[in-house]
Amino acid sequence: MKVPLLEIRDLSVGFQAEQGILKAVDRVSLKMEEGKTFCLVGESGSGKSVTSLSVMRLIDYDGGDILSGEIFFHGEDLVRKSQEEMIKLRGYKLAMIFQEPMSALNPVFTVGDQIAEAVMLHQNKGKKEACQDAIEMLRLVGIPAPEVRARQYPHELSGGMCQRVVIAMALVCKPEVLIADEPTTALDVTVQAQILDLLRQLKAELNMAILLITHDMGVAAEVADQITVMYAGVMVEEGTVEQVFSHPYHPYTLGLLKSIPGYESKRGMDLYAIPGNIPSLAQLPQGCRFHPRCVLAQEKCRLEEPVPHDLGSGHMVKCWLSESAEMSESTAEKR
Amino acid sequence: MREYFLRRLLQSLLVLFLVSLVTFALIHSAPGGPVRIYLTPGLSQEAAKVQAHNLGLDQPIPIQYVRWLGDLLQGNFGYTFKNHIPVAKILWPTVGNTLILMGVAWFLSLIIAIPWGIYNSTREYCLSDQTAAVISYLGFAMPTFWFGILLQELFSLKLNWLPLSDMYTMGQARNILNLLPHLVLPVTVLTLGFLAAYVKYSRSSMLEVLFQDYIRTARAKGMPERRVVFRHALRNALIPIITVLGLDLPILVGGAALTESVFNWPGMGRLFVEMAMAREYSVLMAITLLTAVIVILGNFLADILYAIVDPRVQLAGRGGRSV
Repeated sequence: MKVPLLEIRDLSVGFQAEQGILKAVDRVSLKMEEGKTFCLVGESGSGKSVTSLSVMRLIDYDGGDILSGEIFFHGEDLVRKSQEEMIKLRGYKLAMIFQEPMSALNPVFTVGDQIAEAVMLHQNKGKKEACQDAIEMLRLVGIPAPEVRARQYPHELSGGMCQRVVIAMALVCKPEVLIADEPTTALDVTVQAQILDLLRQLKAELNMAILLITHDMGVAAEVADQITVMYAGVMVEEGTVEQVFSHPYHPYTLGLLKSIPGYESKRGMDLYAIPGNIPSLAQLPQGCRFHPRCVLAQEKCRLEEPVPHDLGSGHMVKCWLSESAEMSESTAEKR
Repeated sequence: MREYFLRRLLQSLLVLFLVSLVTFALIHSAPGGPVRIYLTPGLSQEAAKVQAHNLGLDQPIPIQYVRWLGDLLQGNFGYTFKNHIPVAKILWPTVGNTLILMGVAWFLSLIIAIPWGIYNSTREYCLSDQTAAVISYLGFAMPTFWFGILLQELFSLKLNWLPLSDMYTMGQARNILNLLPHLVLPVTVLTLGFLAAYVKYSRSSMLEVLFQDYIRTARAKGMPERRVVFRHALRNALIPIITVLGLDLPILVGGAALTESVFNWPGMGRLFVEMAMAREYSVLMAITLLTAVIVILGNFLADILYAIVDPRVQLAGRGGRSV
């Protein structure tokens, strides 16, 4: 089998708190191939962002520690690399874009400078050449009059423009992996679609792998090849986009799908919301982490943590209900 | 940039004009009015009238104002009541003396405090950070005159290492070699005071910036941490620091009345205290006016520096742009 471009194996990430170490991510694994889009889906606080920041090893700066696990990139374990070694990879082979485009850009430098800086950090180019690259990149991400825009400051651009600039900055060195942490959440719906289209188009052009973090199942359906659903730091379901959307198994995945407006809901009906809230890391429930919010929860769910169960051809679910055939049928009925 | 500069310049000039009006009004509302203050008690009515006429005090108020302003612009601040010495002659040397003392202390505290604050912000609660915190508490809490007296007690009286007070040793050439030992103690006192504030400001300003999203973006670009701190964070962190420095600028000239008094430093702060005791209104007014001018100048400079450091500032006056 082909070696995956990026592989996360049993990654656990924790934060030091008064109560001890809080695990924000618990044994997460995933494999990414080039040219594919991989989606991490879940509510806020499910550990998606922490996972992505861990891949970049930026989590170190936010006070997080990688407790165990490996992150293989081209067969090399990123967890074992020093920050000095990571600096050479970040922004070059591994790039990342963030949720708030307006605050992700430094207000005191022109956008052209900020893009050119990424070029100069990784490629042996002079300022002039780097600026030329920056303008080319701005053109590629669909910014009109890039020569003019390059000389402007972030506050002179709209949110959608800023996100295009952030994307240009991330992609200017042609990375192999792009991590996009909720890239469209802060944007208008129409701009969202444009940015998603842009990412899709650039992915094909640069043949890179995208790890897209989102809480929006609609966005995931639009762009993902593979989907992993996370809840309270653990993976609860993973599979191809067809598997997860056509045969969702985990009650949490179902809940997320039902929450999409327009999906099984009619005008005038209340939008569906999963009851309850995601538990705090300090007070994780025993057994399955989702059981307090799960309508199908049973005795076993309250006591024991479920183990991953393969439903065939890579569709994994972490739910006790999937273990026995009758139960899965009964859940199907209840659906 | 040019438009912004001109706008701020005009605003400053307007404020200066208003300040001059207020100062003039203050002189005229001083107890008994300028004539009474100025004239010797027991003078006959006729003699007083003649005196007032000679001094131009019988002229209409607006004319008096214009003359007063004209004199000011030529550097004439009036005369002291006692001895009729020109105020300018007393004032300017003290300004220079204060500038030497405060300038050295200010510069010293800046070159220590800003790098130190930056360093501490990148290593919160390390030994260096804790030390800075203790020094800040001391600097804020300890009265400067008391700290000054302690230093005098130890280094001048007990150890006899440094001169007790004054700017120069009497009877010796007034050169830098004479000046330096006299500077040490008062500069130490003042530096501690400035340092206490600046090290805190620069640390907290940097800390706030270091948690911004764009710092994470810079790191995600693969930027070495040193460059993240000194290029991307520092420039943003400087913006609030500039405000504080601009606001502190008047102290440089106004001087520290207490420290100058303790060390018998012939500066403007001490002059103010002495003249207040002697009720020399003309000198006090001159000092007040000069201080007001420097306050305006400090704010003006801070605003100009702002615009240089922060590109968003220039647009503020035009109401900003959305796209």
